[in-house]
Amino acid sequence: MGLQENIREKGVLGAVAAQADDVFTRLTAGIDVGEFRRMMQGEPPGRPNPRLKPHSEGFLLHIKPTYYHESVTRFTHTYRLGLLSTYLFIVETITGILLMIWYAPSPERAYVDMILLLTNIPFGQFLRDMHRLGAEAMVAIVTLHMVRCYLTGSYKPPRQFTWFTGVLLLVMTLFLSFSGYLLPWDQLAFWAVTIGTSMAEAVPPAVVGETVNLLARGAPDIGANGLLRFYLLHVLFLPLLLILFFFVHYYKVVHFGISLPADEEEVGEDTANRVPADKRVYYLPDVLVDETSFLTVMTALLIVLTVFFFQAPLEHIANPQSTPLHTVAPWYFYWLQGLLKIADKFIAGVLLPGVLLVLLMAIPYLDYNPSRRGKDRKVAIVAGIVAGAVMIVWSWMGTPEYAVEGAPSVEIVQDVMPEEGSGLSREIGYKHLPLGVWRTDEEYDVHDHEFLELMHEFENSVDYYRRTDPDFNAPIGILTISQAQPGLKKLHWEITWFDAEGTAGNYEKSFWLHEDSLYWEQYGWKHLFLGQVADGWKSLSGALVGE
Amino acid sequence: MHRLYTRSPIAKIMWGILSSLVGIIVLLMVLVSENPRMEAQTINWEGRSIENGAKMYADNCVICHGPDGQGILGRGPGLNSYYFFTDTGRLRDVGWVGSLEDYVLLTISAGRPSKVESQWPEVMPTWDGKFGGPMRGDQVVDLAKFVMNWEESALAQTPEEDPFQPFEDVIKPMEFQNTAHILLSEEEQAAALEEYRARNIRSPQEIWTGEACFACHNLEERQVDLYGQNGPNFADLYERAGTRVEGMTAEEYVYESIVNPTAFVVETYEQAGQMPQNFAEKLSEDEIQALVAWLLNPDREQ
Repeated sequence: MGLQENIREKGVLGAVAAQADDVFTRLTAGIDVGEFRRMMQGEPPGRPNPRLKPHSEGFLLHIKPTYYHESVTRFTHTYRLGLLSTYLFIVETITGILLMIWYAPSPERAYVDMILLLTNIPFGQFLRDMHRLGAEAMVAIVTLHMVRCYLTGSYKPPRQFTWFTGVLLLVMTLFLSFSGYLLPWDQLAFWAVTIGTSMAEAVPPAVVGETVNLLARGAPDIGANGLLRFYLLHVLFLPLLLILFFFVHYYKVVHFGISLPADEEEVGEDTANRVPADKRVYYLPDVLVDETSFLTVMTALLIVLTVFFFQAPLEHIANPQSTPLHTVAPWYFYWLQGLLKIADKFIAGVLLPGVLLVLLMAIPYLDYNPSRRGKDRKVAIVAGIVAGAVMIVWSWMGTPEYAVEGAPSVEIVQDVMPEEGSGLSREIGYKHLPLGVWRTDEEYDVHDHEFLELMHEFENSVDYYRRTDPDFNAPIGILTISQAQPGLKKLHWEITWFDAEGTAGNYEKSFWLHEDSLYWEQYGWKHLFLGQVADGWKSLSGALVGE
Repeated sequence: MHRLYTRSPIAKIMWGILSSLVGIIVLLMVLVSENPRMEAQTINWEGRSIENGAKMYADNCVICHGPDGQGILGRGPGLNSYYFFTDTGRLRDVGWVGSLEDYVLLTISAGRPSKVESQWPEVMPTWDGKFGGPMRGDQVVDLAKFVMNWEESALAQTPEEDPFQPFEDVIKPMEFQNTAHILLSEEEQAAALEEYRARNIRSPQEIWTGEACFACHNLEERQVDLYGQNGPNFADLYERAGTRVEGMTAEEYVYESIVNPTAFVVETYEQAGQMPQNFAEKLSEDEIQALVAWLLNPDREQ
């Protein structure tokens, strides 16, 4: 109908309203204003259901099912973990692309770019923290998603292949997270990735292992080439691969439907796709509102966690000549690090993880039990819990607490002033470090509470090793604080002791601390909570260890 | 349909609105705090840079430039020095038109040629990997920042505190600094150096540390120590010196060994060539005599 005709018929206001309605309908791919209002008011759709149109006409909704079974929309059935994983991938993509603006993958630039990002880019630290937090959250959520599917038996026919692609997605998520690890080019990154790639070297025969390692690193040691390769893996290859498998995975999810709670269908049946009319929950509007509000809450949560509670670490610039005292893998590889402590590199680093992965992918093809009900799956569930417990034990063995201890004197200094990270000395900061010679075997009339706390921790640490190490007798810790330069103090740590034969030993290490250096949670709003969290965690872990 | 979905969409929408507000407010809070945060981060990374530089300095530079940057005559010039930092000081003398930090960067990176016959026989090595040195570019930058951090204390020095060591090419203690554009003739330079030395007669102890004798010689009983292994031990010098060369008294022997180190080399000390050959020019006659007497005194005070 032409505009003039329209005006003649409905008047000016009426014609404008009709035009607006038309635009609205086009934007929503088929929902007019009246239908939208009825949706919002909770009225049922007419017949035929006009709310299905955006699924067939619009691109964005064409991959979503038009309705779900009421039972699978319960939060406690899926916990929305798959949705959350997808969402986190989108968050990672957006923050990642923004971060790429200020990043160049070369050893000369990468670390400097990190510092520029932190010092000169508004919201730069926020982006970096969120990207890091999102990555770690994604690993956790994808894993939980897998655990959920295992416990509800959702991998059983016809969803075996969905599970299989899910395991692949988990592996890709791990590799994505790990490949991003190297990019800041700091000590943490460099050594974690050096150790990680060295595991590939254990693949037999030696020629293959060395070739894989060489391909990953681009040279015998990680350098400019290795960084570029990890960068390309991280920003191009792995995301593309993950997107491909995501669509395979999601196509299968939609095709077979989300499995119903096991009690709601007969053993061996799969009725997810046969939803009775009175059990249907349509995507528009109910599930859409549910998912949108859920993701909005998650976004707010992610922002709050990023701003107040999380700081992506940045250690000293990568130094191939100096291995830090305790090199740690990212937490999601603690289990591997733990394994490496009890078995050799080939068994722990290649064979066992490979076997575990194949087993994990093969679960749906090995488990012939047709029932998804918990009470019929006692063996599977107990096996799953045992496997989880073993993972946790391995992970615990891989934590820094279980690290191989160095000499007591080295560990004591590492306790109070680690080579990387903060430690109490840097936490209390320049102004709480009075000049002078401070010994653990003397009392001081100092009124600086924070410094006394540091000396107390120093004394405790010395005392702990005196009690536990027979080769560490009558130890004395001496801290000499001197003014090296204007605004720069030198902290000289010296430990003297006698071994079991009475031979004197001595260890010295110097650090410098600038008055402007902030090593802990003092940026932005993190100081509001993080200090308290750290204190709480310290006293809790102290209580657990029994100190 | 709607009844099936027991949880209220209104509640969900409220949750959504509420969390949008929370998210926006928190982002606004970040926006407000971004400038102070960036400032804090900026000086933080400057500070950490200086800390890294301090470690590089302690590991690589102390031996020549001294632990406090006061320099060691004959080895490395003072850096924590008014002369070094002031506008009319070292920069002007070498004709450098850039900033002092750039000068420091260049010197650390590319090193300096040695002036074998001058009072600075030690070579400033090249440090940056680009020029074949052992450091990476970022380490050189950190080190330069550490050196530049002496600015405040150096500029507060009085002429007496300035560890200025005369450069033979530029004879210019502090009082000449404001007339640097007046070129001194050779005689005037020599006179200025003479005058400078006369004003700055050093005790044997000062020479011992200032000339870094301790780096190779040890006054104590021989012990396993970082220092005092390259050169002969001096604990019993008063007993040995007179017996070393026939026809020479202890004083003559020690005097000759200072001004002409390779004249009598003690067996097994192949490194005798390392000892500076120019103490005759660097030290005044009185200083050398006092040093000889001090070295031969069994009860010398350190």
